[in-house]
Amino acid sequence: MKVSSTKNNAVVSIKHFRMDFGKKTVVKDLSFDIYKGEVFGFLGSNGSGKTTTIRALLGLYQPIDGELLINGEPFSVSSKIKLGYLPEERGLYKKESVIDTMVYFGRLKGLSKVEAKQRSENFLKQVGLTDKTNLRLDKLSGGEQQKIQLGITVINNPDVLILDEPTKGFDPVNRRLLMNIIENHQKAGATVIFVTHQMEEVERLCDRAILLKDGTAYAYGTIAEIKKRFGGASLDDIFIKVYGDENNVEENQ
Amino acid sequence: MYNLRTVFSFEFIRTIKKKSFWIMSLLFPVIIGVVFAIEYFSNETTIQATEDIASQVFSIEITDQSGLIKGDVASIFGAKMSTDKQASIDKVASGQLDAYFFYPDNLDKNTVEVYAKDVGIFDNSRYQSVATTILQQSVAPNVDAETTAILKDSVSYSSTTYRDGKQTNNFKEIIAPGIFLVLFYILIVMFGNQMLTSTTEEKENRVTEMILTTINAKTLIIGKILSLIALAFVQILSIILPILIVYILFRNQLALPNFDLSNIPIDPVRTSIAAVIFAFSFLLFTGLLVAIGAIAPTAKEAGSFFGVIMIFLFGPLYAVTLFVSMPNSPIVKFLSFFPLTAPIPLMLRNAVGNLSIPDALIGIVILAISSVLALSIAVRLFRHGVLQYSSRLPLSVLLNKSRIIAKPSKNK
Repeated sequence: MKVSSTKNNAVVSIKHFRMDFGKKTVVKDLSFDIYKGEVFGFLGSNGSGKTTTIRALLGLYQPIDGELLINGEPFSVSSKIKLGYLPEERGLYKKESVIDTMVYFGRLKGLSKVEAKQRSENFLKQVGLTDKTNLRLDKLSGGEQQKIQLGITVINNPDVLILDEPTKGFDPVNRRLLMNIIENHQKAGATVIFVTHQMEEVERLCDRAILLKDGTAYAYGTIAEIKKRFGGASLDDIFIKVYGDENNVEENQ
Repeated sequence: MYNLRTVFSFEFIRTIKKKSFWIMSLLFPVIIGVVFAIEYFSNETTIQATEDIASQVFSIEITDQSGLIKGDVASIFGAKMSTDKQASIDKVASGQLDAYFFYPDNLDKNTVEVYAKDVGIFDNSRYQSVATTILQQSVAPNVDAETTAILKDSVSYSSTTYRDGKQTNNFKEIIAPGIFLVLFYILIVMFGNQMLTSTTEEKENRVTEMILTTINAKTLIIGKILSLIALAFVQILSIILPILIVYILFRNQLALPNFDLSNIPIDPVRTSIAAVIFAFSFLLFTGLLVAIGAIAPTAKEAGSFFGVIMIFLFGPLYAVTLFVSMPNSPIVKFLSFFPLTAPIPLMLRNAVGNLSIPDALIGIVILAISSVLALSIAVRLFRHGVLQYSSRLPLSVLLNKSRIIAKPSKNK
């Protein structure tokens, strides 16, 4: 569902963000807004500063300069924002059961035990993992663990959903399943920030996007605007054109 | 508060459900039980062996130059008198005789010689026992029972001491404040590793990013520490209860001493000081171990730091006699007030009663400041170490030079 966005309803606002690690500047003077209810594509090659920006937005990194706001204020765990964050670094308490882990995170996100259990079970049913409810997480496959992590991310029906490479390691069937889940949350009113390399997903889901290159905004706008700027090419072609000359540089952190 | 409770119950329940927790908890009383059982059966076996030896009849010959051996006593053991030492030794060597005892004159200067058939390294001692018994029983009628008791150092003594006009019992007075020292030792030995891995777990499992965008680091760490304290109580109970049950039910069978707990004197000042020192010592080491866990990328790497902490903590045990006999020496003062070594000297000196109130107060203040400092450093290191998944956290974070920080950023 594409939404019409106006500059008055920015949920995420990043202005003049700069981040250095030692002598290396990873992001320089980055500014953009993400509007309420839209799916925003956060695109860029490895090392372009996507994850750094997300981590700074969530207070995990302290910026050198700039302003990173969610709902008009810097994010903190005591903010009233209902946040769902699926980080690039994947992991869970591997020796705990699926349900215990989901309920734990549900409760940390403010749900009652009963509510957290109910939502966990519903999610497991939705992704076909009901039979794994009481299994230890390390008994699940990598893909199944990723689904559980996504379940934890969305258990509180977040208003802002940040997904860093959510489809990494998923087969096409599960990728489609995940896309449907994201789409459902967007339909329910969530603002979705989608960090990915998968251009067809961006084309399918995103209202607007930003392309980061060398720590700055190389292109920013609606998908149509970005395509138009590059002569109507597909996003895949644009990606290759913009980043094709780069070697695979590892993400800074 | 809600999240603190959530972290506490999650950490507590998941640990209590682990088999390894109960194995560790029950292993201690089981080991004590095994030791007591071995001791019991060993005693039984020794008594039985002694009875067996007493009932055995040896062929023995005796040459007595001391003039102390009584013929009737020797005959009880089936011994015959011999005048030819060499002939008797030859009989033993050829197997015709089990043993030959030669009692020289001037026994205070000369040695009783025992010649006997080799019956194995453990049983050979029985011959010397018989030689000793024959000699003791022969001279016993010449000495009265009191003199015998004095010479055998078997006279019992009772001491009554007074302090400030009140009767004291130094040994029993150690028990109440000393319990905290024992508890501290058990907790650190059994829980040290768990404290250490409580924070490395989040890093090793790559959970930190998710969890620290959900709750703050301080809540997480305090929740973990509180759960560790609760688990420690469970573990202490699981150690003490079986021991108490075994003691109450099998005290007579195991010949255990009779402890009358109602007679244990409790000095409220010393016991309170012990409790406060214990609490701050526990917090200090929890903070240190959590901080180590936050620095190291894996539990394995954290283990090498753990060893250093243990050396500081338990190293003073090697100077135990010094703490008891020379409480005012500079080295004892240093070890008592240096935060990393302070817990054992302070608790030990307090237990034996040579920790003055001013020394106790100085020690408590040092431990309190150190523990608060250690805990805040632990939280800071954990926040900074959040994204250092595979490398050790640089200590420059303590100087606020790192940009990696899992707390609300101060955006302009």
